[in-house]
Amino acid sequence: MTARLPEPVTRLATPLKMEYTFVAGAGRSTFLRGLAHRRLLARTCPSCRHVYLPAPEFCARCLVELGDPVELDGRGTVSTFCVVNFPFPGQTIEPPYVVAHIRPDGADTRLMHLIREVEIADVHIGLPVEPVWADGELEPSWTSIRHYRPVLAAVTDA
Amino acid sequence: MREVAVVGSAQSPGRAANRRDDMAGILLPVIRTALGQLGLDRDRIDFVCSGSHDFHEGRTFAYIDSLDAVGAWPPIVESHVEMDAAWAFYEAWAWLQLGHGDVALVYGVGRGSVPADLDQVVPSQLDPYYLAPLRPHQDALGGLQAHALIAAGLTSEREMAEIVARSRADAAGNPRAQVVGVVAVDDLLAAPYVAAPLRAHDVAPPGDAAAVVVLAAGDVARELVERPAWVRGLDHRLDGHYPGHRDLTRAPSAAQAGAEAARTAGFTAGQAQVAELHVEYSAQQPLLARALGLGAGVAINPCGGPLAGRPMTATGLIRVAEAARAVHTGRADRTLAHATNGPALQQNLVCLLEGDG
Amino acid sequence: MAEPVAVVGIGQGKQAKRREVTIGAMVREAVAAALEDAELAASAIDAIVLSKTPDLFDGVMNPELYLADALGARGRPVTRVFTGGSVGGHAAIYGAHLIQAGLARRVLVAAYSKESEGNFTWALSRGLPFSAQLGAGAGGHFAPVIREYIRRSGAPEHVGWQVAVNHRLNALRNPYAHVQMPDITLEKVRESPMLWDPIRYLESCPSSDGAAAVVLAGAADVGAPARPPAWIHGMAFRTETGHFAGRDEVNPRAGTDCAADAYRQAGITDPGREIDVAELYVPYSWYEPMWLENVGLAPVHEGWRLVDDGGTAIDGRLPVNPSGGVLSGNPTGATGLVRFLEAALQVRGRAGGHQIDGARRAVGHAMGGASQFHAVWVVGSERP
Repeated sequence: MTARLPEPVTRLATPLKMEYTFVAGAGRSTFLRGLAHRRLLARTCPSCRHVYLPAPEFCARCLVELGDPVELDGRGTVSTFCVVNFPFPGQTIEPPYVVAHIRPDGADTRLMHLIREVEIADVHIGLPVEPVWADGELEPSWTSIRHYRPVLAAVTDA
Repeated sequence: MREVAVVGSAQSPGRAANRRDDMAGILLPVIRTALGQLGLDRDRIDFVCSGSHDFHEGRTFAYIDSLDAVGAWPPIVESHVEMDAAWAFYEAWAWLQLGHGDVALVYGVGRGSVPADLDQVVPSQLDPYYLAPLRPHQDALGGLQAHALIAAGLTSEREMAEIVARSRADAAGNPRAQVVGVVAVDDLLAAPYVAAPLRAHDVAPPGDAAAVVVLAAGDVARELVERPAWVRGLDHRLDGHYPGHRDLTRAPSAAQAGAEAARTAGFTAGQAQVAELHVEYSAQQPLLARALGLGAGVAINPCGGPLAGRPMTATGLIRVAEAARAVHTGRADRTLAHATNGPALQQNLVCLLEGDG
Repeated sequence: MAEPVAVVGIGQGKQAKRREVTIGAMVREAVAAALEDAELAASAIDAIVLSKTPDLFDGVMNPELYLADALGARGRPVTRVFTGGSVGGHAAIYGAHLIQAGLARRVLVAAYSKESEGNFTWALSRGLPFSAQLGAGAGGHFAPVIREYIRRSGAPEHVGWQVAVNHRLNALRNPYAHVQMPDITLEKVRESPMLWDPIRYLESCPSSDGAAAVVLAGAADVGAPARPPAWIHGMAFRTETGHFAGRDEVNPRAGTDCAADAYRQAGITDPGREIDVAELYVPYSWYEPMWLENVGLAPVHEGWRLVDDGGTAIDGRLPVNPSGGVLSGNPTGATGLVRFLEAALQVRGRAGGHQIDGARRAVGHAMGGASQFHAVWVVGSERP
């Protein structure tokens, strides 16, 4: 007697679940705790004098521990940006929206964040921006800054 | 072949869990120590090679952050393996053979505490279609191997416990060891199994650490240290993957790597006075001693070895560092370091080191 | 001078969205093709180097272990390297180094990606507090860098579209390329959805499964093969740290240093003139003019002109990515090796429908991370 063979297995689903305990590191922990207090804490390399925000524990160029944290007011300028126009995994807001590299005033590094509360067409390199903090009790997390927006008080002479 | 030696090394203290430092933070002090001991500036380093694995770190491209501790500016010549850093050691030694430079820095970062449960991680090393879906827990294959060894009369639970007791006691003199202490063999044998015949102490305890080894060629090595640990033989080999196809009581790739290393070394593993073996389970020690043909008087893992601390992908590199240290201190003239990758000793590396005179 | 090393065998599989084969079978296909091209049995291989991007992308940790049989690796030294997207280039260079170091006579370098078997989002989602959740996707990192290049160079916007058209037309001549668009035009590119301003959909790379392999041999073992080898004239890799103030990601020094070292080894002093064809790691169209400048094939701020005047089209004086490039197929763990092997195919005269006539010296280039890792080789039809 011949039995009909089953259909070949062409796909095999193997769910993976992995949990991790991430370690921010000493430097970033300081920065994140600052965020919980609505403070942007920068640190300076005693060797090359570059100011890092956010700051790790030491300067990646000089391999020297960064100095004590100093608070910056958080304002900065857009140094470059792109407009995210398309749905991507992990998005929390509807496109289109602007993601920018922002150079905080007083820092030599740039950070990446959203730019909102502005017409996309009005975003340009050099736009002065300020952080918008989340409300209420904050976490030591980047989510404590909701986004950046143009500094309304800034009036530039064209 | 160009004469290349291990001239120095350093290691962070093995910890079950380091919650203070990120990858770069755990590595930087170790690099400073290793280079400081040699009076070397980072601009004397001609090649950097490292080993670590994303699955331990829990994110993709994890090792890139560790480069912040290396000083990769101005741009450097650098490479990386997603394996135990002993394989990065091999790559650095091979690079030095080219004559493009004289000093190489090898580092390994291994963090076993970042995964909340290694049972979730370790089975991913297996064939994704036939083996991984069975989700054997992290020590299941080690247990199968230990069981096979006992059944073949090649070890016993008592011998395994004696090996653990010896390792823990030897670790007392090692400030870098993670687990030390004097334990009675009978107390060990009274403990419950975690993967019969393995008990918890038979499993090399996962932990967090970074290790650095510095290699230098020829006269540069002689300038840097009194007694360089010359790499006389270095080889690595891979066996087949499926445990059902393998004789788990043997490690042919370890034997083959040992034989190949001996060919260039001019001496055999059996002539090594100290052997640093990358055992993940106590039962693997007699297996490897036999596979490598270690001599009767050899000191195996005299500083405690992995049974006193296993910082994942740094563990094999630490075996090289410890074997070299035995030469540097004059404790031995000829030493062996072994490293492994994969389930139940599937892939093995052997390094034969020798001191002058 | 170290013993010259040659590429004596090249194998590829079709790049596609999902390959209906196992990972092992997909890798085996490329390995078998490379050995067949080299007219060698697997037993002739002394060492194997495996290139792949993060294991979390497909959930297989340390795949060199599972792939022991697919690679023909039992009893051999096997190393799995990883340096971001440049890994395929790093792996090829490490393979050649093993030969030059006298540690192997013939090396198999294999590379693959089968991300369709995993979950990219899962692998990239960390839920950390350590970075802002921007949901920008990979291009969200590169688009601002491109904007900075456009600002510095003053390049007109159609340059990016022109690159996309060039590469997509070239892909039609390459049966291995994933994306085939026979009716591509500048207008179609311009009208395609904007993903991350200024990058449009048709200017972006796909995500592909695929495998590739090459066999390398030292000069003493090349013999007189039926198919001419490609000789390595120069090769280098460099890394720079990503996290320091003042870093130039538009024109990273690691790339410039890397290419300069490769040209120096090859005795090339005017790469723009002496190189006949280039396979560059261009994941978004604008990276063609950027890398032309970075690897010294065009003066700084002028790379776009070479595109604009047709110089990099398949009939131009310096064709770039005649294979269709990364825009037409991107198995990330293999993409770097594919650039390297495409350069080798050109100087062997074996690039079939996308062969550049008379190609005697070619550049293969790969980049990884946030432009931190760079690998370059220069291959030629003559033994150096």
